[in-house]
Amino acid sequence: MSTKTKDTGEQITAALIGNPNVGKTEIFNRLTGLSQRVGNFPGVTVEKKGGRFIHQGQVVDVVDLPGTYSLTAKALDELVARDFIVEEKPNVVVDIVDGTSLERNLYLTFLLMELDANLVIALNRWDLVKARKINVDLDRLSELLGAPIVATVATTGEGLEDLKSSIIKVAHDQKKSKAILDYGNDVEAGIKSISAVLNEKPDLLKRYPPRWLAIKLIERDERVLEKANSMFSGLQMAKILEVIGYE
Amino acid sequence: MSEFSEDLSVVLAQKRYERISEIIGSTVKKDGGSVRTYTDMLDRVFLNKYLGIPIFLTLLWVMFQFSFTVSEPFVVLVEKLFEFLSHLVEQNVTDPYLTSFISTGVIGGLGSVLVFVPPIFALFLALSILEDSGYMARAAFVMDRFMYRLGLHGRSFIPLMIGFGCNVPAIMAARSLDNEKDRMITILVSPLMSCSARLPVYVLIAGAVFGSAQAGTAIFFIYALGIVLVVLAAQLFRKILFKGEQSPFVLELPTYAMPNAKSALLHMWMRGKMFLKKAGTIIFGTAIIVWFLSVHPWEATAGGQLIAESYIAWMGHALEPVFKPFGWDWMTAVALLFGIVAKEVVVGTYGVLLGVDEGTLGDSLVANGMFTPLTGLAFMAFVLIYVPCFAVLATIVRETNSLRWPAFEVIFQVALAFLVSGLIIGVGRMMGMS
Repeated sequence: MSTKTKDTGEQITAALIGNPNVGKTEIFNRLTGLSQRVGNFPGVTVEKKGGRFIHQGQVVDVVDLPGTYSLTAKALDELVARDFIVEEKPNVVVDIVDGTSLERNLYLTFLLMELDANLVIALNRWDLVKARKINVDLDRLSELLGAPIVATVATTGEGLEDLKSSIIKVAHDQKKSKAILDYGNDVEAGIKSISAVLNEKPDLLKRYPPRWLAIKLIERDERVLEKANSMFSGLQMAKILEVIGYE
Repeated sequence: MSEFSEDLSVVLAQKRYERISEIIGSTVKKDGGSVRTYTDMLDRVFLNKYLGIPIFLTLLWVMFQFSFTVSEPFVVLVEKLFEFLSHLVEQNVTDPYLTSFISTGVIGGLGSVLVFVPPIFALFLALSILEDSGYMARAAFVMDRFMYRLGLHGRSFIPLMIGFGCNVPAIMAARSLDNEKDRMITILVSPLMSCSARLPVYVLIAGAVFGSAQAGTAIFFIYALGIVLVVLAAQLFRKILFKGEQSPFVLELPTYAMPNAKSALLHMWMRGKMFLKKAGTIIFGTAIIVWFLSVHPWEATAGGQLIAESYIAWMGHALEPVFKPFGWDWMTAVALLFGIVAKEVVVGTYGVLLGVDEGTLGDSLVANGMFTPLTGLAFMAFVLIYVPCFAVLATIVRETNSLRWPAFEVIFQVALAFLVSGLIIGVGRMMGMS
């Protein structure tokens, strides 16, 4: 996708994600106002809320994903959120984090980074962060996470205009200066050997982030294992299973 | 090339958390020393390793005391209302059949259940306050360590607590358990949590045989017994029916908040409404059936005067041998029979059978020598355990999508009820009680 042709007619999809109780719903309401519609994610009874906003002449469709702590295949909510990001490939994923408990919230952020999502981080509850005299070096944090960070206060609407601008900027700016977490020699060697097998299916790698696939296989993620099983030959699968030590 | 023998998802998660603390270490600074929030301070106490469980049990006990103390004046009020209605009927209705229907069937049956509206609403209010304040999630957290060892999942705790109100929403709340085995165990043990429908029975019996001073303690004992049975049953089911790993427990601990009167009252009303609805339909209907069976044949009972000649007495006497060893008479047998529909009906049935109004129901139970403290306690335990009510059975059918599990549940609970009540009687008699 070209970054220079700023075609305002082109639609952008942004998905909101975050831990439960971080103010995600409030941010969704602030962003989309009265344009909301409610439905279900295809095939499951997980509620899907959508809406849109127009900012700087750009129409942005917003999808509210279920609040989750992680993105495993074990819980329906997590799977729905993950599938949406992997399959629908929204232009931007807005990760809403509670600024007062970053330790816990950034875990999901790391999983989203692995998913190769175009992230914008909304650091919510900024008022509480300041009230508790917590100093957050936003520039440095943004650099380390490889994603822009906007401080927000969902309850008052502070920072929401900046968030909108940031979403549009990230959607148009496709350069990926993403942070990659080094899992240590053993795991990295495993990722490498699995990647060697994955490389034999280029069309798979076009659809899914290769490193993410390798990591999920090492984690023995049921869904990804299933998918691999259906795509690879017995020999290739045996190689993968050998690496991940699956009996 | 390396081979991994262990589950690496844990190692990967650990790496992520390590990196997160590194990043936070270099970007987040807390000025002004450690600003401790109220939540942190309260959690130091409520989540304390040693204090957590005693505090939880104390709060539970305070909750029940609160429910009974606060509701007492309202109970008196309801009693007075029904007394007044009773007088009104006696003075104005001349037809004996109609008088019997209204004063025994309607007022005796329904009235004896409606006096429990105040304590039940108070209990729901207390539960709402605990939930809204953020303590309920802590209680789940505190109990998880304990529950895990006992074969239950930490997340089962909230459904079980809801079970104190009513077992139907408790069983539905078990949907929040991702693991199918954990969910099934929670569903099957939930009916042993003492729901508010059983409360009228305890209040009546405990008030009658233990006196108002010790009734609260006796009722607390029954609730505790329910919890112990939940734990034992869960352990049994885990070992025999649902072997396998428990999934890990993650729970959000919300910030503590001052409970808001409006939302607490609204919560109370939403749940209490269900009880009122049940009282108006299923309980009322059963009370009418009980009344009908107790005054017919109309001639033989001399217009409902000689209850010993009625159909219901016949049914009671047929059942009596089963309950005789526990020291319970035919009226109790009948009360238990109709209590299968809904446990409040046990009280309503006594109301009809003894033909007295609610204020004096407890006294007449004692005057008729129906219960001693020991047989009364055993009876309370029996009512706690024996068969889930119709609504709960229907919910189990729906949630397990089978008829086998509810059938199993009925057999299991009836057997357990006989076992536990028998033990109470046996141990009591060994200790020289009668």
